[in-house]
Amino acid sequence: MAVALGSGPASSTDGRGGQAMTIEVDRLTKSFATGSRKRRRTIEAVHDISFSVGAGERLAYIGPNGAGKSTSIKILTGILFPTSGDAHVLGLVPWKQRRKLASRIGTLFGQRSQLWFELTPRQSFRTLAAIYGIAPERAASRVGELAGLFDAEDLFDVPVRNLSLGQRMRCELAACMLHEPEILFLDEPTIGLDLLAKQRFRELLVRLNEERGTTIFLTSHDVADIEQVARRAIVVNHGSVIYDDDVTAMRRTLLSTKLVEVGFERPVDAPVIDGVEVVERTATGLKLTVDTSRRSIREVLDTLLDSGVVADISVIDPPLEQVIAEIYGAPRA
Amino acid sequence: MTRHWFALTMRSAGQRVFADRAAVLVKLTFYVIVVTAIGSLWRGATDSNGGEIVGYTAAALFWYVATSEAAIVPLTMRMIEEIGDDIAGGAIAVELLRPASVLGVRLATEIGRGLTALAPIAVIGAVLAAVTVGAPPSALGAALAIPALVLAITCNVMAQHAVAAAAFWVRDARSVWFIYYKCVFVVGGMLLPLQVLPDWLQSVAFALPFSAMAYAPARLASGHVEPWLLLVQLGWLGVAGLAAWAAFSAGQRRLQVVGG
Repeated sequence: MAVALGSGPASSTDGRGGQAMTIEVDRLTKSFATGSRKRRRTIEAVHDISFSVGAGERLAYIGPNGAGKSTSIKILTGILFPTSGDAHVLGLVPWKQRRKLASRIGTLFGQRSQLWFELTPRQSFRTLAAIYGIAPERAASRVGELAGLFDAEDLFDVPVRNLSLGQRMRCELAACMLHEPEILFLDEPTIGLDLLAKQRFRELLVRLNEERGTTIFLTSHDVADIEQVARRAIVVNHGSVIYDDDVTAMRRTLLSTKLVEVGFERPVDAPVIDGVEVVERTATGLKLTVDTSRRSIREVLDTLLDSGVVADISVIDPPLEQVIAEIYGAPRA
Repeated sequence: MTRHWFALTMRSAGQRVFADRAAVLVKLTFYVIVVTAIGSLWRGATDSNGGEIVGYTAAALFWYVATSEAAIVPLTMRMIEEIGDDIAGGAIAVELLRPASVLGVRLATEIGRGLTALAPIAVIGAVLAAVTVGAPPSALGAALAIPALVLAITCNVMAQHAVAAAAFWVRDARSVWFIYYKCVFVVGGMLLPLQVLPDWLQSVAFALPFSAMAYAPARLASGHVEPWLLLVQLGWLGVAGLAAWAAFSAGQRRLQVVGG
């Protein structure tokens, strides 16, 4: 499938409708040398990536495994130097001003804990507050605020090892919000959580964004994270940005297939239409996929209406998961 | 960053030690068994050697062993392996996301943990030695042994970080901890006073930093009032600290350039 590349939801001079930029990435490239000395070869994990993120945006930065997501995040948070290109996060060059930047961003990596397992979250917060240079009085009031925001007052005094994964992740999020970061970088934050815990976590992220204006930069393989948290998606594959637009526009812009479900009052023969495939069939019902690049929905509906007495008919966009799978499966440019 | 982050990190590491009381109890039990066993061996050896070995009486040797073990037992035995795993597994990279020195936070954590675990071990060791062989041979020596123990643990932690930083370059540096501890046991004077070693090995041992990690406090506690040992420890502490700083700085830079 040929993937249509968006230029961003708002193609203004700053690319985001006049918003203040918190992240600006310009032609960023990162190469790694792999293999033995004799068979050394260079892999471009990130290739010529450019994008910008406005203050208060909720961005999903997604792609298949090995697409270059983690490398990009590592560069943007200052823990990896790029091979070429430029980037500014909150006006700072991450790899040159790592520590300065660290006190203004929050990072949450699903598999890594910043809390000490033997201690309670409250005890960990005290140490983290000192590391982040927060005065003890301010830290205490901040922990109180976070307890209210995350509904976690009772969790903060339980040793971390006794918390469930969902409870721990709420405390982890509180820990990375302790120093009131302007941007939250989240890498697979809901991995391993059950459905309810995931839902609660996503709601928290949206609340943080809406109430505090925190910019959310999220990577996830969970489509629900993208749908429920992000308003904009950047898709990377083979180290390059292959899509950048509103999440809601993803289906519309990119889908070349639609699902049509039709119920007849009496059994009918399934019509044979070029570009249409029957995926499910009952006595009086049909489920069809329509390749809209070959056959318009209107033509399909007309044919179905001519085939028998229709009791019910609906046209459905396939799930976002399918859209993303199609983007991931697009051939390398 | 507030100035007290190092102290607070040490304190929180100390809290972690006592959060696992069973582990503290296991460590204390192990310590008592080892000191009692090695102390008994030395008593047998001194008895068959006219009551003294290279200037140490049986009582002095018991105090020696109680102190040398107290300098080592509080530390995480496989610290080098753990640091290596953290480097190889990417945990260090995540620590770069804090506005503090990665090495600084790690040193504060391990020193805090070591010194906290030292407190009960030192008390139990002193009681055990006093009950078994009587008061320390020299009160001044015993008093000097206390700061020497603190320096020994601090120096050991720094040296282990300097060695473990090899994991930034080599794929598997985990087994190094085994060789490191063998050096501490023998040429560091943990199992036996360095004077027992042949002359050539003594010269080697005194030229290495390991003697600052066990021998120095043990020598003082066994009645040898040699305050210059504290200066030797301070010297090695500086060397180990610089080596750890240089190795971590270079390693972190490598990590930032070539990735984990």
